[in-house]
Amino acid sequence: MKTGISKAVERTDARKKIRGEAEYIADRHFEEQLYAKTIRSSKAKARILEIRLPEMPADYFAVGRNDVPGLNRMRTVVSDHPIFAEEQVEYIGQPLFLLVGPDREKLCDLADMVNIRYEEEAGVFTLEEAEKQDTVFTDYQYRKGDPAAAFRDAAQIIEEEFRTGYQEHAYLEPQGIAAEYRNGILYVYGSMQCPYYVRNALLETMAIPDKQIRIIQTVTGGAFGGKEEFPSLTACQVAVAAKKTEKPVMMIYDRDEDIRCSTKRHPSLIRCRAALDKNNAVTGLEMDVLLNAGAYNGLSPVVLQRALFSATGVYDIPHLRVRGRNYRTNMTPSGAFRGFGAPQSIFAIEMLMLQIAVRLGEDPLEYKMRHALKQGSQTCTGGKVREEVKLPEIVGKIRKMSAYVKKQKNKKPFSGIGASLFLHGCGFTGRGESDIRGKVILSKDKDSVTLRVSSVEMGQGAETVLRKIVAQSLDIPIEKVNYAQVDTGAVPDSGPTVASRTTMIVGGLLQECAKEMKARWRECDRLEIEKVYQHPSWLHWDDSTFQGDAYPVYSWGANIAEVEVDPISYEISVKKIYAVYDVGVPVDLRTLDGQMQGGIAQGIGWATIELMEGEAGRLKQSNLTDYKVPTSMDTPEMEIAYVNNPYPYGPFGAKCAGELPFVGSPPAVAAAVSDALGRKINYIPLTPESLMESDNED
Amino acid sequence: MLDGYLPAKLSEALDMMAECDCIPFAGGTDLMVQHARGSGVRPCFDKTLLFVSALKELKTFDLMGKTLRIGAAVTLSELLENAATPQIFKEILRQMAAAPTRHMATLAGNICNASPAGDTLPYLYAMDAEVILQSRNETRVLPVADFITAPKRTQRKNDELLTGIRIPAAEFNVESYRKLGQRKGMSLTKASFLGLASTANGRIEDIRIALGSVAPHIVRSRKIESKLTGKNIKDIPGILQELQKDYSALIRPIDDARSTAAYRKQVSLRLIRDFLINCMLKKIP
Ligand SMILES: Cc1cc2nc3c(=O)[nH]c(=O)nc-3n(C[C@H](O)[C@H](O)[C@H](O)COP(=O)(O)OP(=O)(O)OC[C@H]3O[C@@H](n4cnc5c(N)ncnc54)[C@H](O)[C@@H]3O)c2cc1C
Repeated sequence: MKTGISKAVERTDARKKIRGEAEYIADRHFEEQLYAKTIRSSKAKARILEIRLPEMPADYFAVGRNDVPGLNRMRTVVSDHPIFAEEQVEYIGQPLFLLVGPDREKLCDLADMVNIRYEEEAGVFTLEEAEKQDTVFTDYQYRKGDPAAAFRDAAQIIEEEFRTGYQEHAYLEPQGIAAEYRNGILYVYGSMQCPYYVRNALLETMAIPDKQIRIIQTVTGGAFGGKEEFPSLTACQVAVAAKKTEKPVMMIYDRDEDIRCSTKRHPSLIRCRAALDKNNAVTGLEMDVLLNAGAYNGLSPVVLQRALFSATGVYDIPHLRVRGRNYRTNMTPSGAFRGFGAPQSIFAIEMLMLQIAVRLGEDPLEYKMRHALKQGSQTCTGGKVREEVKLPEIVGKIRKMSAYVKKQKNKKPFSGIGASLFLHGCGFTGRGESDIRGKVILSKDKDSVTLRVSSVEMGQGAETVLRKIVAQSLDIPIEKVNYAQVDTGAVPDSGPTVASRTTMIVGGLLQECAKEMKARWRECDRLEIEKVYQHPSWLHWDDSTFQGDAYPVYSWGANIAEVEVDPISYEISVKKIYAVYDVGVPVDLRTLDGQMQGGIAQGIGWATIELMEGEAGRLKQSNLTDYKVPTSMDTPEMEIAYVNNPYPYGPFGAKCAGELPFVGSPPAVAAAVSDALGRKINYIPLTPESLMESDNED
Repeated sequence: MLDGYLPAKLSEALDMMAECDCIPFAGGTDLMVQHARGSGVRPCFDKTLLFVSALKELKTFDLMGKTLRIGAAVTLSELLENAATPQIFKEILRQMAAAPTRHMATLAGNICNASPAGDTLPYLYAMDAEVILQSRNETRVLPVADFITAPKRTQRKNDELLTGIRIPAAEFNVESYRKLGQRKGMSLTKASFLGLASTANGRIEDIRIALGSVAPHIVRSRKIESKLTGKNIKDIPGILQELQKDYSALIRPIDDARSTAAYRKQVSLRLIRDFLINCMLKKIP
């Protein structure tokens, strides 16, 4: 793995970022530029009775729903979020209108003078309240085998309930976007993952043809899903403002505004019932997944789908009944976040399997492995596991690395060790890839080539990895491969930069282009090759019944966590994480290690310290003083290894990698805490407050 | 509004304090956050700022006899670099903020900000530290514990500057400090504990206990401490319950975004117990 495609190269974006030369959207300045400040609802649910604006000085404008030329809704999976609120507001922080003008200080002064009268209504905030009032947005179900029989014939039935909390993306660079009209064309610049989502939203909101819109991604300082759908909203807002004012309009969020008003990871409540046969094997599972979608449904239905299709984790459970509901609440909308619903389900299934094993007095890792999927197994949706499942090798390796058995035996009080097994479906869920039909272009000009995709570099290493795939396929130096500026006027729609799909799907298409180009290298100086994604004919999916191959292939992994719990304060110290992954073939070991380390740390944060609570529609932790993400001091030493398992349809054998590590670390840490304290863990984050409180109840 | 003076000398600064209503501005690490209006917008102050961190007279750091005298413009980083700073105080300073903030922040600012979560306060209370307040016509010295009257409130008069802090020396052979935050680095305190004691031949000669962030003010009680002074260490377990009850009456924490009242109370009592039992019993000869 130290040679060929896996051998690390210098990240192509590293130097300009380290030197401070990278130009983020907030570094840009447009001639005659105006700034936009968003005026937001201070009520969780209310009717707007009156909006009183201060007298606006020359060059200052209020921009609201009456200025929207087209549809006042942000286009996404469910296009229900108003660009600007109408008569009704549904969450604290919902955008009402913009104040736009040349001076940011003046805008703050004007904002302080805005007066809004509301008629408040009763809101719904928690999943419990939502369930009681039945404010359901989406309700999905599927089944496999004969669950009724499995439960009827069960020797034992085990029921558990699991909860996970909000999570904030906390990307380094807050949301930022700008719009300007030049020669009749609308240009939008900004920090984003999905330039074509932004374009599609603008088509409807601005009611103009696509020839008149260009979306240009600027250097993006982290996203984690938080810049998947959300920039579509802000882009529409600044575009409306640019049209009305006839000036460029820039909008940069402050950190606390970003935390309060952008999307979050869905809090979940997951109810499980497992049927065990007389041999103690889990033969049946009922899982009921409840997600808090917030005030608008947006892309929550797809998040819910991934949660449901990850319900059984790495386990082969023959009889299943799975149900999932997205609930409407008067909270800021939940949205895309690394893992996309899967982390909630994987946490539940991993803790359930652990608890069953502990109850039966079995070794958790061995008990779990007895249920593991194998090549040829049926997935939870009745699809087929086509690849070789290397879990036995993964588990063998991680046991050895971590000295798991020895450490289990020599346990000190308040220290614990825990393991997780997990998978992640690569690429879009269900028909996603065949609907998007990603397109890429590779063009050659003498001895250098340019790749054109709409997949963005956002800190994850896409630029390096895609250039490297092309360079190695063509056998030319990486410097000879240009990554075209992501501009919808100049690059095709290779799909959004989400779902761990960029390397495998987009990289795969680029490799096909490169192979063809190599064969025709001498044909002429200039050559352009275009490829469009073809969904493999052997993959079947029925969206109405949720039956078939939810994903073309999976990446797999195991984590072992060692923790210490402070016996006085109940603070958790994660001491060490061991991780072994099968991501097919690593395309660049250093970039991959970066993803794995970051994902593990972000998962530890979600599982331990990242507490975000709603309180009557308000987020109690709404700045980085109160909401804490892990620092290097909170991040343990990590030992990471890979198992090679080339995927024949991925570039150089690569599968997906970006979300996988996030899915794995929370249940491993929770299992270790459970081991340290000798008690069941049914929720995260495991704050010292909650651990001490439940200790008092014991 | 953003107006400021940069006096060249202390006397000039005191003149300005006497003549106009100014806000003393040291490192600004509290002030800038408290008055922030958003990125790209200047913070908003309703009074003129008086920048004190460049005043040479306030940059002093010396030992007068056994008393440590720290000028008001000395930064936390400078305290950490100085050999005269006691080890336990350094341990406290090291857990405050991170290096960039410590390069700017001052001890005087931490005192004048008068937050019950101010991390230097338990130490200053435990050491009976004093502040020096100077105006054009007067100099007063007050114990830190009297200077701070309530959260965000001090006895500083409008025309006074805090010019220095005095920490009387004391030697301890048992020292324990715990800062609990939401994470291990760069975190504000949700509860803190400082225990200092000197023992000889199994007897307690001097003991000081201070807790931060668990009441509207720093918790320190000489009355409870006096129940311990002179006692044999091995007799502590016998009075532990009583002591915990005494402290429990003083610990009056709140629920907020960073922790809960219940946790703060319980963890404080646990830390007291840990100090009195585990740390102290080790000192039985
Ligand atoms: C990122 C970050 C992390 C932090 N972490 C911690 C932490 O871990 N623990 C902690 O306790 N604090 C922390 N703080 C708060 C802050 O850094 C400290 O309180 C610091 O000691 C304040 O000192 P300063 O010089 O910056 O005060 P300033 O902000 O300049 O002033 C604070 C107050 O003191 C007054 N003042 C300052 N000097 C004088 C003077 N000479 N005379 C009269 N009044 C004066 C000011 O008017 C103001 O009211 C943190 C702050 C930040 C930004």
